[in-house]
Amino acid sequence: MDFLVRIEESGFCQWVREADSLLAFPGILLLHTIGMGLVVGINATFDLRILGFAPSVRLRAFQRFFPIMWMGFWINAITGTILLAVNITKLTRNPDFYVKLAFIALAVINVQLLKGQLFGQIPTSDEAARDETPLSTKAKILAVTSLIFWLGAILSGRLLAYVGRSSGVF
Amino acid sequence: MNPAHMHLLLNHVPTIGFAIGLVLFGTALLLKRSDLRRAGLVIFFLAAAVTIATYVSGNDAREALKETPDISDPLMQAHESAALVAFAFMQITGFFSWIGLWIWGRPSRFARWNTGIVLGLSILTFVLMARASYMGGAIRHPETGAAQTIPLDPSVPTLARSWGLLVPEHSWIWPACETIHFVGLCLLFGVVLIVNLRLLGVGKTVLSVAALPQLLPLGMLGFSLNLVTGMMFFVATPEQYTGSFFFLKMALIVAGALNLLYFMLWKGYEEGAGIWTKFIAASAIAIWMAVVFCGHMLPWLGNSF
Repeated sequence: MDFLVRIEESGFCQWVREADSLLAFPGILLLHTIGMGLVVGINATFDLRILGFAPSVRLRAFQRFFPIMWMGFWINAITGTILLAVNITKLTRNPDFYVKLAFIALAVINVQLLKGQLFGQIPTSDEAARDETPLSTKAKILAVTSLIFWLGAILSGRLLAYVGRSSGVF
Repeated sequence: MNPAHMHLLLNHVPTIGFAIGLVLFGTALLLKRSDLRRAGLVIFFLAAAVTIATYVSGNDAREALKETPDISDPLMQAHESAALVAFAFMQITGFFSWIGLWIWGRPSRFARWNTGIVLGLSILTFVLMARASYMGGAIRHPETGAAQTIPLDPSVPTLARSWGLLVPEHSWIWPACETIHFVGLCLLFGVVLIVNLRLLGVGKTVLSVAALPQLLPLGMLGFSLNLVTGMMFFVATPEQYTGSFFFLKMALIVAGALNLLYFMLWKGYEEGAGIWTKFIAASAIAIWMAVVFCGHMLPWLGNSF
């Protein structure tokens, strides 16, 4: 516990929590929100495409947008670590926080399984065939679970402000 | 120029602006002119977008007038509730008008149905909006004698106030709406990114520009979720959503609507976009990022929480 208090009371964490600057807590939280938009936005569009929306958009087109999605993921991994550090003693005692981490882990495993399912079996030279073959039921189930996991991550993340009261503003 | 001032400037768009759309749309149906019908849909959609800014700035006008003698607060509250009902129907009309623009030029059995829905909704919206603006005019214009014609009972909470009281009574409503607001943000932002990055050239070998309009309804779904949940926050705690910073967010949403129209009406979605089209595509990403920024910074730069 002493170790966690030392993290929380470090100079950087104090600055993030207390500085009267938009670059401190507000800015880091803003980046966390925009990162969420990148990850969940692109992933949800991909899932909904698998479930039948926007059929003219080729599935392999999403492969070009995955790097942007992962960029959002890493923005959130970094900003999320900072947001954890500044409130670490309270967050590590909040069960909702572990629920959120579990949902994110499941969602990330899910997207990897889905990519394997869709792009794994067909050799890359035969790219056009990917969009011709009908989507398997397994892919559709994975798309639904992906939407559920991201919804769970957003819900449990939002509830951090209500369950156990972790910080001043949110 | 403050938002209260903007309310006076913008309050003619939902009434007079919308009426122009209604005349165009009605004439188009009588004369069977499809170009006029499309113009009517565009005006309905734009009026709905501007009405968002009009409605929220009314809040600032009320705050500014609250302490003024001879101004009846019950009358302002009655105007607020009438405007809320008209606002809801205006947004539904705008939504179906957008659907009409989206299916334009495509063979669709729904197109005829949609025209009927838009006609019915637009007439109803106009009547409700005329009622709201009559009550709004009565607040500051005793010369019309309108104030005496409006029955008021200050002991009964108005529609907007009873809705506002409902939210704090049930502690789950606010966090549930926040969660949905974030889900809507993700959907809208995801679609804005994919569509506009593609127009800027990302993934041009694998994704046809002609396929992009199919993604737009997902973005519109996200926007609709956020409009409904955003109004829950607004009606529950109107005092949090005043001032220029919140108004900037609403103005940016209107800019986002104009940006969308540019692609739906003029450029279509064609290959080989010029530098101007690329500039508009980049501005779409900037506009919606700025909307997220303004919403997020409300507690620090605005008047919230």
